This record gives sequence, C-alpha cells and structure tokens, in this order.
Amino acid sequence: MSLAIAGMGWVTPLGSGIDSVWKRLLQGHEASATTVSESVSDRRYTTFRVPESALTGFAHSRLRRASVISRFAAAAGLEALHNAGVKLDSQSAERTALIFAISNGGVIYTKRFYRDILEAGAQSASPLLFPETVFNASASHLAAILGITGASYTLVGDGAVGIAAIRMAEDMMANERLDYCVVVGTEEVDWLLCDAYRLWRLLRPAPPIEPFSNQRSGMILGEGAGAILFAREGAITVERTHAGGFFTKRAQAAKILKTILRDLGHSEIDLVISSANGTFVDQAEHAALEEILPDVLVYTGKPALGESVGAAALWQVILAAQALQQRELPPVLHADSAVSLRLPHARTEIPQARQAIVLGCGLNQQAAGLRLAIR
Amino acid sequence: MAQSNRVNGKKVTARVAVVAAGVVSPLGFGLTETLDSLRNSRDCVSPVRRFSVEQCRCKTAGQISDERLLAARNDAPRPRRRLHRASHMMIQALNELLTQQPQFKPELTVIGTTSGGMSYGEDYYRSLHQAGKLRHAPTWIANYPAQKPVIDAQEAFGISSPGQVIANACASGTNAIGHAFECVRSGRYKRVLAGGYDALSEMVFVGFDSLQASTPDKCRPFDRNRTGMVLGEGAALLALENLDLAQQRGAPVLAEIIGYGISTDNYHITQPDPSGIGAQQAMERALHSAEISARDVDYINAHGTATVFNDTAEGKAISSLFNGVPVSSTKGMMGHSLGAAGAIEAIVCLLALQHQLLPPNINFAILDDNLDLNIVANEARPAVLHTALSNSFGFGGTNASILMRRSHRRQDYGGPVEA
Repeated sequence: MSLAIAGMGWVTPLGSGIDSVWKRLLQGHEASATTVSESVSDRRYTTFRVPESALTGFAHSRLRRASVISRFAAAAGLEALHNAGVKLDSQSAERTALIFAISNGGVIYTKRFYRDILEAGAQSASPLLFPETVFNASASHLAAILGITGASYTLVGDGAVGIAAIRMAEDMMANERLDYCVVVGTEEVDWLLCDAYRLWRLLRPAPPIEPFSNQRSGMILGEGAGAILFAREGAITVERTHAGGFFTKRAQAAKILKTILRDLGHSEIDLVISSANGTFVDQAEHAALEEILPDVLVYTGKPALGESVGAAALWQVILAAQALQQRELPPVLHADSAVSLRLPHARTEIPQARQAIVLGCGLNQQAAGLRLAIR
Repeated sequence: MAQSNRVNGKKVTARVAVVAAGVVSPLGFGLTETLDSLRNSRDCVSPVRRFSVEQCRCKTAGQISDERLLAARNDAPRPRRRLHRASHMMIQALNELLTQQPQFKPELTVIGTTSGGMSYGEDYYRSLHQAGKLRHAPTWIANYPAQKPVIDAQEAFGISSPGQVIANACASGTNAIGHAFECVRSGRYKRVLAGGYDALSEMVFVGFDSLQASTPDKCRPFDRNRTGMVLGEGAALLALENLDLAQQRGAPVLAEIIGYGISTDNYHITQPDPSGIGAQQAMERALHSAEISARDVDYINAHGTATVFNDTAEGKAISSLFNGVPVSSTKGMMGHSLGAAGAIEAIVCLLALQHQLLPPNINFAILDDNLDLNIVANEARPAVLHTALSNSFGFGGTNASILMRRSHRRQDYGGPVEA
C-alpha cells in the first residue's frame, strides 16, 4: 500500500511554515549560528536554534510548562493539519493515529531535573519537571491538543527514526480503521548534546557544514520539528519504505545504504534527499550513491538547517515533497565543486522530476529509506 | 483492531503465535525461575544499593543481580564487556528465546523502553558537574541511546532485522507486543521479535519519588491501604510468528496473541482519567480486536501499580467490563519495570496459561472500598485458563491491553519450561 501526504508543517532554524522555509532555502539562506554554554564547563558550541519569531503567536494552555521540543512539535503538527484542511472532531480523531520520532527527547528539562538532584539532593527534585523528561511527553501534549484518543506512539532512534516512524504509519494505515496518521519528528538543542557529539568527534566548532567533504569536519546541531499528515489519497505518495537496518561499525554504513538504494531504486529516480551532515555519514552515502545511482541529483538541507537528529528525516521528506511539487531544488550550501556527486550548487529547476528517494543514515547505527512519487 | 487489513487488495487476518520467549526480571533469570517465583508468591523487592536513596521516601526496588547478569554475559556467542546493564538484560532474554527457537529470524524487532541507557547519561552529566574524569564518557555516550541495547542484543546473535523502539512510558512493552501482533496479523510480516526492557536509574527513581508515586512501604496493588509503587527492572522478549507458518515448520505454539487495544485519554500527563475511561477503551478495543466478549476472559494481569490514582481508575474500568474475573497485579512481587513491565507481564500471562495458574497479587490485605474486584490474594492458585488479558498504562495518558489465548494443541503445552 502507499501513503499519501495530505499536509505538512515545519519549524526550523530558518523559521516556521512550509512556504516560508522553502523560500528561504531556495534563496540559499543559512540559519544563524547561536552559541550555547553551560556552567559546568568552559566549552562553548555553535548551534542552529529556532528563532523566537518562529513560534510568535503560538500558545496553548497544555504547553504552559512544556519544553520547547513539545512546542516545536505542536506548532508543526497543527500546521500540517491546517495545510491539509483537516479539522479533527471526536470521530475523526479516533480514526487518526499519532506517531512521534524523537532522538534525545526533552534533554533541557532532563538535564535541569538531574542537575537539581546533584546540587540540592533528591528532596529538591521537581515533580513538575519530571513528566516532561519522558520521551512521549511531546506526543501526549499534541494528542491532547488534537483530541486524539486512539493510537499514539513515540519512536526513539537516531537520524533515521523519522523514516521508521513513516514505516510504522504505513503498517498502521494498512488497517482500515484509520483515516489519517500524523507523523512528527522533533528535537531540541542543548549544550549537553553538543558536548556528547564533540566527544564522538562528530561536531565542528562553527559553521559551515561542508557536505561530502573529505575532511569530515563535522556537523552543527539544529533543532525544530517536521510534521506530515498522511492519508490514503494525495498527489505525493510514499511509494515504498525501506526499514533498512543497523550497522555496528561506521565503515559498514555504506553497505546497508547501497542495499536501500538498490531496493528503492528499481524505477527511475530523479533525486535523492541525502542525510549528509559533514560526518562519516557523507562518506557512506557518497559511496552508496556513486555505486548505485551515480547520475541522480543529490540534495542535502543540513548545511542550511543543521543536523536535527530526530526531526531530520521528516525534514528530508518535506524537502523531497516540496522539490517534487515545486519542481525545483535549493542550492546545496558549502559543497565543494570537486565532489563527484551531482549536487545542485545553485537553485535548480527539475521540471521532469517524478520520483525521489529519502536516505536516512543516523549517527547511532540506524539506516533506512523511502521513495516518494508525484502523480 | 486489525479486523480488516488488506494486503494487495486482499483481506488478511493471520493468527499470531508466540513460539518462544525469554525473560530476566527480579523474579528470576528465565521462564523456569519466573514460574517458580510466581508459584511461590515470592517477594523479590529489596533495598536499593545502586545509588543513594537516603533522601527518597522509597528505599526499595525490584532489582536484578549484577553478578548474575555479568556472569551470564558469557553465554552470548559474542560476549562484550562495556555494554550497559540494559544490554546485558536484553542479551540474556534473547539468548533464552533463541535457545528455544534457534532458527527464529525476525523481519522486524519492536521493543519498548522508557529510559534507554539513562544511568550512563547520569554518569556523564555527574562527571561534568563534579569536574570528574571523562575517560569513560565516550562509552557512556555510545551506550546511552535507547536503541543501543536492542542493537547489542541482535548483534550478539547475528540478527540484523530493522528495529522500532517504542517509548510510550509505562505502556511501552505492551505497545511493542501489540504493534508487533498487528504487524503479523495484517500479513505484512511473518515473524516479529517484540518485548521491552528498562534498567533502574537514579533519575527515574527520584522522579517517581518526587511525584510521591513510590512508597516507603510494601507495594500493595488494589489494597485499601496501598501507598504507591516500587520500581523494578528487567527485559522480556516474545517471538511472534504467523501461526500457520509456525505450525508448518513444527514450532511449538506457546500461546496465541489474539487482540490488542490502545487508547489515549488526554486527561493529565501523569494521572489517568479518574473515570477509568482510558483503561476501559484499551480493554474494549482489545476485546473487539480479538472478537471475543468480556465473559471469555479468565484472568487479568492488571497494570496495578498500587498508586491511588492508577488502581482506582483501572479497578473501575475492569469492574465496568468484567464480572468477577480473577485479577492480580504482579508488581508487588517485582516492582514496576516501566518499559519492560508489559513484556514481563505478557510472559507472566503466558506462564499462567501454560501452567494453568493464577499469579498472585502479594502484600494484599483488604480490597479498596471503592472497588469491586476478584483479587488473587497473596497466593498463586490453580485455575482453568483459556484467555488472559494484560494491561499497561503510562504517563501521557497512554493505555494498552493485549489478549493472549492458551495453545490448545497438546504437544504445545508447557513449551520450554515443562520438561
């Protein structure tokens, strides 16, 4: 079966709203870098944060105490429904499922909760913060806002988890009991995450992210959310998902990516939305693409938006859907012209494009993919 | 729930068999020890020693012996030493499962958890905060992600199926089994590995203590004088397979999963709707999914955390649907293992069906005045059981129920434990 995209929502370091973010990407904009610091260390990191203006006017009583990750998710989710022209009532809400893709979750509140324990003891632990540290807190807020009373799932993983969530949506929509499935990927940035990724030698001190560079100089973390409302009918369809698998060593990533590309690439593929982010992922994708789809156009939005981990794959699917619908691709920023892949170094029209692959290679051993088509 | 799935336009509703299982919990390592603890109504809750609980109201939890866990790691074909405890639990559970069904090759793995390798996250932040050494930080960080114990376990036995890690708070384990059940039932998958894990961590322990959800006393589900839960830990896995295919290849059918219900009650992030509507909807949907009536259910393994709110809401929901069916919560014996709870309790139901016994609800004296339930008080009892229901409810108003049915093929009785 195939899933169709009925609506999409986007909260990113380049602002919020599908049209607005897409326009900025086409213009070659890059998110503004923000420095984050922490009292426990002198180390400072550069990140791509969601600007405050992106959520201006967005408020809901349910989100009063919620972390920003839940606000991003709610804003994106509501935009996806709005853009689809879908208003859920009690009956349709029961026939709508919610699936969240998350990687690090509410790390800001988690850290704060644990810091309080370390500094002032267990007796000072906040009963208000603790529930917001739970992985499914964001999903429960959006479910409450939308009135969803049926299935709600939160999937945890790495940069590929969004594709796993869409595959789960596909599995669930096989059931005629459901009319819609809202899939949301969301992530928030914190100093602690930057420090952890630095220890893994995956982070660079300052932009730019240089995709597919031999230097592998690292990524910049981004944050935000992407949401897609899936239905059964629509112009853009998920023709096939590929559950991929896991790799135990970074060097093995290319092998699994080749399998994914081979399986998804039976029909003519016009473009691939890559997860290249300046790390080992780029080499793995480069090797896989060069062998399986050497002539295809390859785009990555991460130099412009940052690596948003749990939200990343949803952003990639949104990029693919926009590219197929709008028939053009934004420029890949900061890519060396010597990279042997076919990258759009400038805004590029793709009038004939019908099919796109979204390739998800995560930093924590997971890889997956899917194929989108426009009717 | 999966009544009318279609694959290639064709209606498919496959029956779903449990062909193997593995478990590590405070009740024991493996099905045999677990059954023995259930039969003997063993209280497996003990004082917490992993971290300081001096400032907490609650001082106890259901815990797994590190010594046994680390000794058992050498059972894996590719033992690894630097993994999180949760990985060792998963490896141990998978080892037991594969000992029963070495040829079980899942197409998908669906696992529930709430906190992944949280204790390594704590180690990392504590070292930063106290300007301690970060020599082990790369190991802590590498083993922190929730999917890592799943990957570690699969890697240890050469399984390469893609994974979905569900983090639906305390319902995660039941959600994982329920979703896996639907995947097989729909015909989209033939074999799925499902279950849950969670290892005790200081942050989560203090979190429940801060909510005053955990008790300084014994955990007394559904008792009038209950004062809260105790935490636990563990891992449990079930091998689900299309029943026809399992029988064709001569695999034993330990039980069938016949229904799954999920609901979201949206009442409060930490409290269930006091009316019990969320729990009721999950159970109703499971019954509808299984196409059976409440009268067909012989035993309910309740979520039964022993908090005032949960047990009141769940008790109301049970008595609104079922008339006198035996109910027990086994959390008094082993604590609440969060993401693992639903999976461990599915195994408790499996053992109950296989061995025709009602698992006990220990530490029970007097039923809550506001509830009308048939509690299996303090001692396991023999009973004729065909169908068991298992409930799990979690933060965020997420509720899940699965229904299991005894295998009626004589050669399948007892499965791996009744040698």
